[in-house]
Amino acid sequence: MRTKILIVDDVELNREILAEMLKDEYEIVMAENGKQALAILAQQRNEIALMLLDLFMPEMDGFEVLEVVSRQPWGKHLAIMIISSDNTSQTESRCFELGVSDFIHRPFDARLVKRRVKNVISLYQYQNQLEQKVEEQTRTLTKQYQLLQTQAKQLRQSRANVIDILGTVVEYRNLESGEHVKRVKGYTRILAEELMRRYPEYGLTQEKIDVIVAASALHDIGKIAVPDSILLKPGRLTKEEFECMKTHTTKGGDILMNIKNVWDEEYGKASYEICRHHHERYDGKGYPDGLKGEEIPVSAQIVSVADVYDALVNVRVYKSAFSKEKAFQMIISGECGVFSPKLLECFKHVRKEFEKLADESADASDVADTAS
Amino acid sequence: MTIQECYASFGGDFDDVRRRIPKDELVQRFALKFLDDKSYENLQAGLENDDMDQAFRAAHSLKGVSQNLSFHKLGVSASALTEELRHWESAPVDKARCGELFQQVAADYEAVTAAIKQL
Repeated sequence: MRTKILIVDDVELNREILAEMLKDEYEIVMAENGKQALAILAQQRNEIALMLLDLFMPEMDGFEVLEVVSRQPWGKHLAIMIISSDNTSQTESRCFELGVSDFIHRPFDARLVKRRVKNVISLYQYQNQLEQKVEEQTRTLTKQYQLLQTQAKQLRQSRANVIDILGTVVEYRNLESGEHVKRVKGYTRILAEELMRRYPEYGLTQEKIDVIVAASALHDIGKIAVPDSILLKPGRLTKEEFECMKTHTTKGGDILMNIKNVWDEEYGKASYEICRHHHERYDGKGYPDGLKGEEIPVSAQIVSVADVYDALVNVRVYKSAFSKEKAFQMIISGECGVFSPKLLECFKHVRKEFEKLADESADASDVADTAS
Repeated sequence: MTIQECYASFGGDFDDVRRRIPKDELVQRFALKFLDDKSYENLQAGLENDDMDQAFRAAHSLKGVSQNLSFHKLGVSASALTEELRHWESAPVDKARCGELFQQVAADYEAVTAAIKQL
C-alpha cells in the first residue's frame, strides 16, 4: 500500500514546512538532493504514493531525477509534483513531458498543498487500480488461451493417433511395409514445401503441409478391402483383377467418409482427397473419376508423385526396383503417369533430397545397386 | 516579544503567513528554525570567494525560505539579488551592484534574526 510521501528539497526549512502540512495524513520521507531521492525510491518505491520534488538542487537536480524515473518501468505508477517558485512555462511543460502531475508553488499554503496532494494521489490510486485490474484480466485471459492451446494440441495429437492407427492397419495386413508409408510421408513433405516456395498460387502453408503429410499415410487404406489374391499377385493382373485393384481408391474414400466425425474437417478432407484421387492423371486419364489438371486436389497430386517414386525405386510383388536415376527419368518423361508441369518442375529441383531419403531408407538402399 | 510583534519589527507579513500556516505555534517553530538555515552564510561565502554558482543557489534558497515564512522585506531584497545573479553563467556579474544588493539583504537578515532571537 502506498502511504508515504517523499519530499526532495535541499533546503531543510522548506522540507520541514511541507512535512508539517502533510504529516497528519501521510508518512513522510525526506531527501536533500536527487541522489538521495533515487536511493530512497530504489528501496521504498512501492510504498511511496507521491514525490514532491524541488528542481533546483545541488548534487543531482530535479530534472535528472525526472529523467531517471521516467525511464523506469515503475515510473508511471509514481505520482510526482514539482515544488516551484519561479518556473517559466517552458520549464513547466518540460516537467509535464517527464511525467509530472502538478506543481506546488511557493510560498506554501497548507490548505492548497493538502488539497493538491490529495487530488494527485487519489488520481494515481485510481489509475494504478485500473491498471492492476486490466493486468489481472489479461492474466486470466492468457491462462484461458493457454488452456485452449493445450486442448487444441491434444486434439491434434488424437487426430495424429487416429491416422497412425489406420496406417498400422494397412501395415499389419502386410499390404505395404511401414517403411513405405514413412517414405511417402517424407517425399510428400519435400515436394509440398518446394511447391509452397515456388508456386504460392496453390496457397500452401506449413500448417496445410503438416495436414497433407499426415494424411498421406492413409493413401492406400482402401487396399484392406482388396482380396489378397489380387493384391499380392506376383504377375500381371487380368483386366477384371485390375478393375478390382482400382477400387482401393474409392473404397478408401468410403472408409474415411464413414469415420469423418472422428477428426476435424481439414484432416478428413485431405485424407479423403488423397485416398480417392492419388491415381488420377493430369491428362484426365487416371482413375477413379478421370479428373483433369487442377481439378485434381493438390494434396493428391503431390502424394501421387511421392507414391510412384517410392514404388519405382523399391521392389514390388509385380516388379523389381529401378535405380534412382532411372526412376527420375521415368517420372520426368511421363512413363509412369502424367503430372502437373509445376509439380515436375519442383520434383526436378528436389531430386537430391528425394535420393537422400531413398538412400537413408533400408529397403531402398538394398536394391539401389542391383537395379536396372 | 510575541510572534506578531516579532514579524512587525522586521517588515514581515504575519497575516499572510498565518493564512498559509494555520497555527501560531507552527509559525513560531519555523521562525526559530530559520536561525539554523545556512542560506545566508552560503550566500556571504559565495560572494566573498567569487563562487557565483554557490552565491546564486544560496540567494535563491534564501528568497524561497523568506517567501515561505512571509519575511516580506528580506524576501524582496533576496529576490533582487537572486535576479542579479541568475545569469552568472552566460553574462558577467555586476559585482558593485551585487555588493549594494547584498548590503540590503544583510541588513534585512540581521533585523530578522535579531528579532527571532528575542522570541
